Amino acid sequence: MTFLNAWAAGFAGIAPVIVLLYLLKLKRRPTPVSTLLFWQRLFQESRRRAFFQRLRQLFSLLLHLLIFALILGALAHPALDRQIREGASTVLILDTRARMQATEPDGQTRFARAKAEVANVVREAGALRQMAMITADASARVISPFTDDEKALREGLSKAAVTDAGGALDGAIQLAGELLASRRGDRKIVVYTDRVPETKPANVNVPIDFVTVGTARDNLAITRFATRAVLNSPQTSEILLEVANFGRAAATTNVEISYDGRLLDVKPLTIEPGGRAVRIFPTVPRPTNDGRGWLTARLDTADALAADNVAYAVLPVEPPQRVLLVTKGNWFLEKLLGADQGMAFELLTPDSFSASLAPKFDAVVLDNFVPEGFDLAAAAGNYFFIKQTPFNASAPPLDQPIITDLDSHDPVLRLVNLQNITLLHAAPLAVPKSGDWTWQTPIRSFEHPLMLTGERHGGGQRVAALALDIGDSDLPLRVAFPLLISNTLHWLAGEETSPVLSGRASEALPLAAEESVRVDPQTPWKKESASGSQPVAHDVFEPLTNGFYEVQTRAGPHWLAVNTFSEAESDLRAANTPTTGSPVLPAISLAPLAGWPLWHYLAAAALALFSLEWWLFHRRRTE
Amino acid sequence: MDTATAPLLFDSDFLAKLEQLYLLSKKLFRGAHRAERRSRQIGSSLEFADYRNYTLGDDLRSIDWNIYGRLDRLFVKLFEQEQDLDISFLLDASASMRWTPAGGGRIPKFDQARRIAASLAYIGLANLDRVNVHYFASRLEEDLGLCRGKSQFHKVLEFLRHAPALEGETRLLPCLRTFAQRMKRRGLVFVLSDLFDPDGFEEGLALLRHQQFELHVIHVLDPAEVRPGAMGDLRLIECESGEAYEVTASEALLQRYHAEVDAFLQKAAAFCAESGINYAQATTAVPFEDLVLRVLRDGRMIQ
Repeated sequence: MTFLNAWAAGFAGIAPVIVLLYLLKLKRRPTPVSTLLFWQRLFQESRRRAFFQRLRQLFSLLLHLLIFALILGALAHPALDRQIREGASTVLILDTRARMQATEPDGQTRFARAKAEVANVVREAGALRQMAMITADASARVISPFTDDEKALREGLSKAAVTDAGGALDGAIQLAGELLASRRGDRKIVVYTDRVPETKPANVNVPIDFVTVGTARDNLAITRFATRAVLNSPQTSEILLEVANFGRAAATTNVEISYDGRLLDVKPLTIEPGGRAVRIFPTVPRPTNDGRGWLTARLDTADALAADNVAYAVLPVEPPQRVLLVTKGNWFLEKLLGADQGMAFELLTPDSFSASLAPKFDAVVLDNFVPEGFDLAAAAGNYFFIKQTPFNASAPPLDQPIITDLDSHDPVLRLVNLQNITLLHAAPLAVPKSGDWTWQTPIRSFEHPLMLTGERHGGGQRVAALALDIGDSDLPLRVAFPLLISNTLHWLAGEETSPVLSGRASEALPLAAEESVRVDPQTPWKKESASGSQPVAHDVFEPLTNGFYEVQTRAGPHWLAVNTFSEAESDLRAANTPTTGSPVLPAISLAPLAGWPLWHYLAAAALALFSLEWWLFHRRRTE
Repeated sequence: MDTATAPLLFDSDFLAKLEQLYLLSKKLFRGAHRAERRSRQIGSSLEFADYRNYTLGDDLRSIDWNIYGRLDRLFVKLFEQEQDLDISFLLDASASMRWTPAGGGRIPKFDQARRIAASLAYIGLANLDRVNVHYFASRLEEDLGLCRGKSQFHKVLEFLRHAPALEGETRLLPCLRTFAQRMKRRGLVFVLSDLFDPDGFEEGLALLRHQQFELHVIHVLDPAEVRPGAMGDLRLIECESGEAYEVTASEALLQRYHAEVDAFLQKAAAFCAESGINYAQATTAVPFEDLVLRVLRDGRMIQ
């Protein structure tokens, strides 16, 4: 004999309670009487009655236990071995996509409802009704293989958690179909989701039941949150934020931008139903020693889905530019380069300079020094010549030259104001005749170029020359001086920034051999104590929760910002009617036993005995 | 002594009923009894009783000279002595008498007993008899003291109104024995009790009867005692002893209980009949005035 509902055995634990109740006796109704004389006489008359009284109690107890055993037997759904033809297999697919986090009007999430529904169904698991469980978000994961053990299924279910990832159910249904392909007997796939997909995989030939939870809800969502460096401003970045209203009414809210956990800006938003609002925050400071630039955007709203009300982004980091200053001593330049946090400069005297050092730096500043035999065609590296340059014209130096032409669009002159600059001397420059270079003259004194910039075609090599003696002018005392030098050096070094890592939840990030990621999101601006017990991903990292993740690389740590950014997840306006009742599980094929299943007979016997007991009790034959 | 007051027990309606009751009793039992009772003792009233031989020391005024003239022998005329009667009411004040069934609706047995006692006392006082009231439970308590005349009725009422709530079970034998020892004169005794004495009521009543008291037993009961209706799993708690008894009351069991109670009542009535004791059963369902007239008449308590 096989019990199809083995879980019913758990109710056997009630039997001692029935016995205990009999031992403790029933609570009797206290009734004050004037005398007990007659009652005592009644029972003193025949002690034999006391024996029957005890026998009656025992009979009553046995009758109750028998009824209980019959009910238990009926619940366990016994089947004779010769009856059983084939077992049944069911795959339960639990939708763990971000949209399942949506809360319903009663405060319960869709995922919690779905989980409760699954918990009800796994009770049906048994030797002849094996079940497997799959979670579905961006990818499908088997959280419990086929088993008849309800406990194992429950453990798997307890570990299932809703994610911030988007995705489709096709993959999970496909996987369920593959799992069921080799199973015999009746098979079924039951999907617990909030929306039935419009199309189903064509190659899955197993009946699919959808148990839907959730109702149509309005929702505001951040659909884009991106940062970029402002090319013409090394100190600032800008943020692009897009908020969509997936609701049936106009929505008004505030969006808060936090920088390293500190509130940076707040902007009000009013969005028409189905509309979008795009906001740009143009002056966000670049990462410095004072702030890394972990940005968080948060909508000040309490809508159905909270996961898309917060977005994360990381500002790009510009590595410090390596600059080599070759000079016999220039106080202004040394102080200027030392003060610029975006530069790491080294000082060298002209005697110590070797052309082979130049490629190791982003830019080499040669102050009043041109190396012997300098050949631009053969030289490697980016050079900034000041005063003495290889491009000095043969014309005599200019006395007190006047700056007449400024190319304000040239990157080296961004925000540089050279009006009323007093120059004592300047060497006019001659633009070289070289076919593979492009030359610009951003500063001119009439027909004489005072500054020259050149860039080799395709090679990325750059050269700048300023034919001024800084000490013979008031330029170092002007604001224009640090801007001009900084612009020039940044232009020479090129715009190189570290890669800004951003991804979507469940998007796989391949990791190099020595790279690793802590799998739990972090709050990086809070100094968390590093714990060695936290799980770390190698090879491939697939984040399922939005937030900041620290990627350890050979070059140092990088930060990864993970967001949902899925309209399919945020748009909760469409919903199926919630399913009522449990799904019909595949039937176990049983041979009939004289017309009825065995449990029917047990239930009928329990009912008959129960009626008998009721009749006896009301005639005080039992207690 | 704890007292239980019943301010509405003897209200104006009750007092009015008493007077009607007295008049009615006089009318009903005219000829059968008179206000004054004649004792068997020879006294000095105008009612002739008998003759006896003159003996030295007899009052010469009582010699019947007519007989002497005819028979030439001295005879003394004897007259019946008119004597007032002592009526004692022994009220069972145990907890069982104060018990009322769940749900209420009727007065306690003790109140019924007090009303009956008050009614009979009024009749007695109106007949110039001497009335006394005693409370008892497990022992005999202090009594009212002898009262005579209608003017003393308020004293009786006051005593009945402030009846003590006695503890302990009903013990008739020691109480009636104490009563018999305390009473110097024999007279009428009304015992108003439910007779729920664990040691039995027979011995105590027999003792009084043996002591030449003219005994009347008014067996006060509540209908719920005679025919209880509660069924199911019960925990019966006796109000006197606090003893509990668990029963599962079924129809069959209740029928047996009824039979047991009926046997008890028949036994009480039979014992009283055999012992020359007037017995009357008075349930709280019957109005006290009906009891006083009908039940007492049936019990031939008024001669």
